[in-house]
Amino acid sequence: MDNTLQKKRTFSYAKYGYLFSLPFFLAFLIFNLYPTLYTILLGFTDSKGLGNITFHILKDDPWKNFRSILKAPTFALSIRNTFTLWMMNFIPQITLAMLLTAWFTSRRNQIRGQGFFKVVFYMPNIITAASVAVLFNSLFGYPKGPVNDLLVSMGLRSEAFYFMNFAKPTRWIVAFIQFWMWYGYTMIILVSGVLGINPEIFEAAEIDGASDRQIFFRITLPNLRTILTYTLVTSLIGGLSMYDIPKMLNNGNPNNSTLTSTMFIFNQAFAGSYMYAKGAAASMILFLIIAFFSGIIFFLMRDRK
Amino acid sequence: MTLEKRNGNVLVKTLIYIVCIFLAVLSLFPFVVMAINATRSTYQIQQHAVSLIPSTHLMDNFKVYTGKSFDPMRGFLNSLIVAIGATALTVYFSTLTAYALVAYRWKLREPFFAFILAVMMIPGIVTSIGMYQFMYRIHLTNNLLSLILPAIYAPGAVFFFRQFMLASLPLELLDSARIDGSKEFYTFNHIAMPIMKPAMATQGIFTFVYTWNNLFMPSILLTKDNMKTMPIMVAMLKGDIYKREHGAIYLGLTLTVLPLFIVYFSLSKYIIAGVALGGVKG
Amino acid sequence: MKKLLAIALALVMVFALAAPMASAEGKTVINVMSFTDEVPKMIARYVELHPEFAEKYEIETTIVATTDNGYQNALDAALANDEVPDIYCAEAAFVLKYAQGDACAYAAAYEDLGIDVAAETEAAAIAPYTIEIGTRPSDGKLVGLGYQATGGAFIYRRSIAADVFGSDDPAVVAEAIGAGTQSWDKFFEAAAALKEKGYAIVSGDGDIWHAIENSSDSGWIVDGKLTIDPKREAFLDLSKELKDNGYHNDTQDWTEAWYADMAGIGEKPVFGFYGPAWLINYVMAGNSGGSAPGEGTYGDWAVCPSNVGFFWGGTWVLAGKNVPGTDKAEAVADIIRWITLDASEDGLQYGWANGTWSGEQGTKDTVASGVVMDKSNGELDFLGGQNMFEAFVPANEYANGSNLTQYDEGINNYWRDAVRQYTAGELSREDAIAAFMQNVADNFDVEVDF
Repeated sequence: MDNTLQKKRTFSYAKYGYLFSLPFFLAFLIFNLYPTLYTILLGFTDSKGLGNITFHILKDDPWKNFRSILKAPTFALSIRNTFTLWMMNFIPQITLAMLLTAWFTSRRNQIRGQGFFKVVFYMPNIITAASVAVLFNSLFGYPKGPVNDLLVSMGLRSEAFYFMNFAKPTRWIVAFIQFWMWYGYTMIILVSGVLGINPEIFEAAEIDGASDRQIFFRITLPNLRTILTYTLVTSLIGGLSMYDIPKMLNNGNPNNSTLTSTMFIFNQAFAGSYMYAKGAAASMILFLIIAFFSGIIFFLMRDRK
Repeated sequence: MTLEKRNGNVLVKTLIYIVCIFLAVLSLFPFVVMAINATRSTYQIQQHAVSLIPSTHLMDNFKVYTGKSFDPMRGFLNSLIVAIGATALTVYFSTLTAYALVAYRWKLREPFFAFILAVMMIPGIVTSIGMYQFMYRIHLTNNLLSLILPAIYAPGAVFFFRQFMLASLPLELLDSARIDGSKEFYTFNHIAMPIMKPAMATQGIFTFVYTWNNLFMPSILLTKDNMKTMPIMVAMLKGDIYKREHGAIYLGLTLTVLPLFIVYFSLSKYIIAGVALGGVKG
Repeated sequence: MKKLLAIALALVMVFALAAPMASAEGKTVINVMSFTDEVPKMIARYVELHPEFAEKYEIETTIVATTDNGYQNALDAALANDEVPDIYCAEAAFVLKYAQGDACAYAAAYEDLGIDVAAETEAAAIAPYTIEIGTRPSDGKLVGLGYQATGGAFIYRRSIAADVFGSDDPAVVAEAIGAGTQSWDKFFEAAAALKEKGYAIVSGDGDIWHAIENSSDSGWIVDGKLTIDPKREAFLDLSKELKDNGYHNDTQDWTEAWYADMAGIGEKPVFGFYGPAWLINYVMAGNSGGSAPGEGTYGDWAVCPSNVGFFWGGTWVLAGKNVPGTDKAEAVADIIRWITLDASEDGLQYGWANGTWSGEQGTKDTVASGVVMDKSNGELDFLGGQNMFEAFVPANEYANGSNLTQYDEGINNYWRDAVRQYTAGELSREDAIAAFMQNVADNFDVEVDF
């Protein structure tokens, strides 16, 4: 009796689940279904060339584009670069963001001016990536540029260093820009996640005499799990589709060391030969890679209770 | 508290302040460069892109900026319409969708969430081919709605709100509201939303900044002069491959970022303090 | 708060929906698409000068910046959706695509607009390379012409020439760098002589690249295959020679250090730059560190013919394929004729050459019409009073459009990077070439024989 009543109740509320997600779904159907399906279809066609709307589905060899992308050494390189660049910026980024979160949400050690710091740290994210890239390009200019002028005048180097002509420094610059643009963003999300935790839990822990460190690792972090999942997954997606900064800083140079997979896709589909089909195939491969790693994150961060 | 411990604390605090001040300087540096470059001439900027000494060419740059075929006031208005419209739609409907995913049990809930995650992972760069072909076909080019209406669909924001609701929306609260006779839609608007305010403000800032700065789709969809947004106008200043108006570009960038500051600072109180769990206590 | 938001949102929707649509009031609309407001301003000037034209036609302008390929994306979308603009512009970097390549079918032949191509280009003595580039190979018809001529010369410092070569006379410097020899031998002799006195001959390897690129016999692609012309391959060695001997300041074009060399404040004083007339007006004059003779390097420059012929940049004007046969064909033809073919003193080019086209005193430039060039005065204070047309007009003859391909922008990027890697010692010569070929193979629809 009790059981059926409950069933009836959940059933009657279920329709709101559908109803409330309807606008989202409609907007998807209207504005995104066509482009998405179109992209998937393109991967199996011979579509190329500007304005060439007519194309043929590759009936004899549907996986031709996929094979040719997987065989291209430049694509493999771009995937490796993307991962390297992502790791180089994400590890310091999440570490610093966590550290700042711990400092700013510590209830004992009130940091004065933390409101100001929180607001200011997000600000690099307000400027467009293009302006940031231009700024850093001139900062590291060769043979004249503020960084080189500084290095030479301080006697650290006898002559100017051509940062953007060497793979490692260029990668570090790209990674640093990404790190610098996004650690504040990540911190804001984590801080608001902590603010969303019921304060009574903290109060109880304090009464029990837990140290700051204990509170952070035993209470804050476990309660941040869902938010951390969000941060990890979106950083992964954002990181693996990194485009603006490496593109505008040095166009993937030197020697393709900062060529990311999205840049590769862009080159296929839009620059030069307009190989839409190959670009679409490459983006589906990239999609599978992202989905695979996101799946791992979801698995690792799952609720073990 | 022993003296030793207090000293340790002071040391840690000093370290924290040093790190924070250093990071703050790093964060503010580009804005200072931008604002100062807005007062420098194109040639001064070409010779030294980064300088901390203001110059006297602000008015010249302003003349170049306003002397083009576009109207900066119109651009500001267009940007404002698009950014406010898109932000409001994204924040409201994403919260609503996330609410559907968290507050109700329905058969397709998990598949729907998986679907949202999947569409979020599709690299946007290639769907843009289909996107602008589509906008052309339905004749929504040169119409600001083409940038506002699609904002209802924001998988990333839905994911964001869902994760926040899982962490901080007490479902018992909704149950008690139901017992009090509150209708579902009313419960969402008047009980769930206030709790989500910090998350909404945070996401609101992110969306606003993104939409305000967005250049790629707007520059394809809005081609008529009276429809252009501020970033498109700035991009047009560098349009000539061989003759770039650097001074005017920096002035344009500075003017573009000012409204963002206003919005950001007015919403930043949520980032600073948060009004978390206001609903629970009230 | 919520009410406020709702009101704001409602207002936004009203504004968005009430998108003002210009009413044409029975006038025929001519759609123009461009990447700067240069050509639209010319057309506006034409309308201003021809009131009877303004009564019948309305100009609708679309300007999209070239940033992030924006212009090409927007134009391509319009072309593919059969919304071909009546008049559209293309820059040298991508004109091949619209005049000869993938998108050439969307352009109308000038003759179909009623322009007598052969007679009118001859009457105005239009620079042959601009015609060559604007001619569609599939039917041999002219579809685009420019207004500028961008043949390049060598722009050098008078004081350095006097110090090293004993005279600042263009004839002496022309002899020293081997003007017209189509080789780099004399150039390197001059470089050695300049180095002895502590000067660099050019600022960076980008300066000689534009000259080399355009003087080669074949383009990057021949019959669908990647081809490395020997003259372009030699850029590897020339670039290495410049760097190893310290003949340049090792700058990259369009960076601070490059501009600094124009003001003479780089590491070593730089002797000269290769470029067309616009490089003087748009870039060098402003970066010379002064605005009157005696200030910075202003007035210390002169122009002499280049050792190899080349051109760099320029804008071409095309008409849409749907124009011929409609009631606006004549109007479009009139505008195009005024911009690209009118050699009279009322035409655009005369005003453009003398810096008077928009009424005020502007910058002087070389234009496509030889007739206009002959009756124009190219004397510049920046060049110590020299008439720059003396050097630039003959340069147009050496310029040639046959070695361009529509993928040059992208391919050049890979090539210049490979060369920089080689000169920096990061890659061997073979590896640099191999890396370049791999890039072309993976990024373009071009056959590559490894």
